[in-house]
Amino acid sequence: MAVTGRASTARASTARASTARASRSSGASLAGLLPTTVVGSYPVPEWLERLKTDYYQRRISAQHLNEIHEVAIKAALKDQELTGLDIVSDGELRRDNDIDYLLTRIPGIDIPHRAKTDYYDYYDAALSRPLPEPKDAGLGLGLAADFAFTREQTQRPIKFSFTGPFSLSRRVRNTAYADPADLVRGLARWLNAEAHALVAAGADLLQIDEPFLAGYPEAVQLAIEAVNIVTEGVDATWALHVCYGNRYARPLWEGHYDFLFPAVLAARIDQLVLEFARKGPGDLQLFGQHAWDRQVGLGVIDVKSADVESADLVASRIRRALEFVPAERLVVNPDCGLRHLPADVARAKLRAMVAGAAQVRKEQRSGQHPGRSANTDGSAAAAGQARSPGNTEPAD
Amino acid sequence: MHIDVRPVARLRGPNPVNVPAALEPLFVALSDAPVDPARLRVVCDWIQYRNNFCGPVECRPVLAERPGEHGRLGEQGRLGEHSQGGPAWAALDSLEIGIDLRRSGDVELAALVKEALAATADAAIPTGMVLEPWVPASESCIWRFNTLYWQALSRWEQATGREYEQALPGGESDARNTEAVHEMILELFRVWDELDARHALPQELYIVELGVGNGGQARTWLDAFAALDRGHGRDYYRRLHYLMGDYSAHVLDRARQTVAHHGDHVNGLVLDATRPLLTLGFLRGKAFCVYISNVYDNLPTDEVASIGGRPYLVEVQAYLREDEAAAIAGRHRVPAGTLAPLIERLLRLGPDLLAEAAPDAFADVGHAVALWRDVWAALCLRERYVPLEGLDAYRLSPSLTGEILRPLLGHGGDIRMHASNGALASFEGTLPLLHPFGRLLCHDLFLTEPAQYHCGFFGPGKYDGSVVNWVNGPLLQLIGNRRGYEVQIAPFTARPGSNIKTLTAQVRD
Repeated sequence: MAVTGRASTARASTARASTARASRSSGASLAGLLPTTVVGSYPVPEWLERLKTDYYQRRISAQHLNEIHEVAIKAALKDQELTGLDIVSDGELRRDNDIDYLLTRIPGIDIPHRAKTDYYDYYDAALSRPLPEPKDAGLGLGLAADFAFTREQTQRPIKFSFTGPFSLSRRVRNTAYADPADLVRGLARWLNAEAHALVAAGADLLQIDEPFLAGYPEAVQLAIEAVNIVTEGVDATWALHVCYGNRYARPLWEGHYDFLFPAVLAARIDQLVLEFARKGPGDLQLFGQHAWDRQVGLGVIDVKSADVESADLVASRIRRALEFVPAERLVVNPDCGLRHLPADVARAKLRAMVAGAAQVRKEQRSGQHPGRSANTDGSAAAAGQARSPGNTEPAD
Repeated sequence: MHIDVRPVARLRGPNPVNVPAALEPLFVALSDAPVDPARLRVVCDWIQYRNNFCGPVECRPVLAERPGEHGRLGEQGRLGEHSQGGPAWAALDSLEIGIDLRRSGDVELAALVKEALAATADAAIPTGMVLEPWVPASESCIWRFNTLYWQALSRWEQATGREYEQALPGGESDARNTEAVHEMILELFRVWDELDARHALPQELYIVELGVGNGGQARTWLDAFAALDRGHGRDYYRRLHYLMGDYSAHVLDRARQTVAHHGDHVNGLVLDATRPLLTLGFLRGKAFCVYISNVYDNLPTDEVASIGGRPYLVEVQAYLREDEAAAIAGRHRVPAGTLAPLIERLLRLGPDLLAEAAPDAFADVGHAVALWRDVWAALCLRERYVPLEGLDAYRLSPSLTGEILRPLLGHGGDIRMHASNGALASFEGTLPLLHPFGRLLCHDLFLTEPAQYHCGFFGPGKYDGSVVNWVNGPLLQLIGNRRGYEVQIAPFTARPGSNIKTLTAQVRD
């Protein structure tokens, strides 16, 4: 059986519920050795930005915008398939930004002014009374429907991402909870309910994004506690993405990932998705230092630069990571979402990423192991072949 | 027929502008002119620059199609042979007649209107001595004159007997206003103290000034910084690096001398203000302040317009009126036919090398400078509106299409505005230099609302030997916002009543 994926990554020290997972392949494991994927967002063309803004200025209807989104998502999926990605996403193209798409759907969050000068702007959101419990409200956040549409459009494995409770909480003016941590927990319960709905709709690889966490390293324990609330009882492969910010293609913070450890070891997740292309490989050693034995989503593409990496450069970054993480636990992805890149640049970067991963995959299978012992499992690769037409190499 | 009276603020008060007096001769002239009044637009401006590029009356064709398309217009974009029998009107959406109300009372307006209409409608051969083909305004040779001014500034100053700062509105650069400088430095100290308390203050503290002139601004700032730092007691001066950037090595050398007493704290870099990242990329995310004073209004710009809901690019063509060209040729004793090539050589070589290369024409450099000044004083621009296929097809800066202009051009009816391409490129290239707690501070001639374009003339004008255009502030705000920066434009408090505004940009969210 595959040594990638959630079945193999359940640590005895974590409380992850893994019994139901063991019998079913999912997400990364389906894609074979060194599967390639995106973090979530895909380039938003200028025309789409204009139309989104038109919607927020009441110039086009929600119905028209929804149809536009569906066309754009289909195109984004096709783009990803053509670049050879193993695991695709809907590009988060329906979302105005990483925060408001969710906050506007959570009952109790007050957003007094819903028109926007630009669709990407953040709302001014407030909460004056504690959030209702999701089971009381009886409403979903609509992400499951988003996933269901995407599922209908592609045969490839899908990663579905959403912003995590800690980052969401940072954009809410809270007068409802005396302890701000309770707001984080309340938001986490809503996301947990939605995660259950996503799995019911067929999602099996879910990712929590925490773009603001790096700016508040002192809050990492709370953030991980909230992540565990989100993942509680949800039978999926869970990824956690922590970056240094990508709003307006600009890092919000600087620093190192050491703040994540050891707290993140207690997270009920299967994969940690981090940025290494822009920041360099320095923090890779943390995985060894802290005995991280689950998957790593390795950022090999700098999404803040329009310079297209070569396949060789991508391969060298993967090889460097292999010194710290075995191949069967590596997933290859960009540093963060691609939304700020021109579409042609993003496609070129993804093609380079796929080609770079293929180089290293080939080396691994031919026994040239520049890094740690890979100990690849042929059955996992074969399973990947079944649903991953982009991964065209022989399984073994 | 559409009549647009822009200087509305001058319609009342002690000396109101007499619009009817300007319109009456216009209608007289139009009564027997071979034009379709239904497609006429009359734009009355008040051109505040005594030295500018246009006459009291101008005709500006609003082309129906881009020149060369479907063979309807010749390269000159004038009515030319198409005017025979009137088919030229088929090539136009409309015709704009521009009247400068400041000068209209001093001229025979009806005669000038007739003359302008005739010149527009009749002309296989364009009038005057043409110095360039039709081009977007940012590509006009007026910007080569502008560059020449800054490169050969000392020659110009010798000839005029005054330094360029004396030509500025307050007689000196606004960046030398000590009150504003003190305010800015104290704000920096506040930010640095906070960062230091969180152990987040970098060891190297970078300040950047783009367009340093003679170094007077840098000297004022650094002297004030050193003095204030002594009082503040945190020894920030020791960690300070002040980088002066200018595209002229000569200007930088002069500035270096001015701030020599600050030693290694100051460095000078030759750079293009419109592409700061090319030289200053190493400072990405590190500059606590980027200081730009009176630079943006002097960078190349196009003008764009929305007429009848359709977007247009304003194209221009530099020329000398025939009588002016003849007078200049006579004064400098050169055959009239050689004047245009001589001007081209002047722009290419500058006055020093031109005098050296053509000793028969110029006894010394002073004579070459005299030619330069004469040509500059007489230089005119004719204009036309060329339709844009779509705003996205117009390249505003290397990374931006004209699509971002849409909310501004859609602002209430016909409008013409600066694209501020040079300022925009500089602004876009400067923002990434800012530290997350850094700030871009810019003193310049900024418009603050798109509606102002309905109510006034904002360039181009001639400012000494340079070009000046007010900067499209709302456009910079829009772009700053799209990049995640809070951009504010406020009155320049240190000089009340001044047209100068202060633009600040800093990270938001």
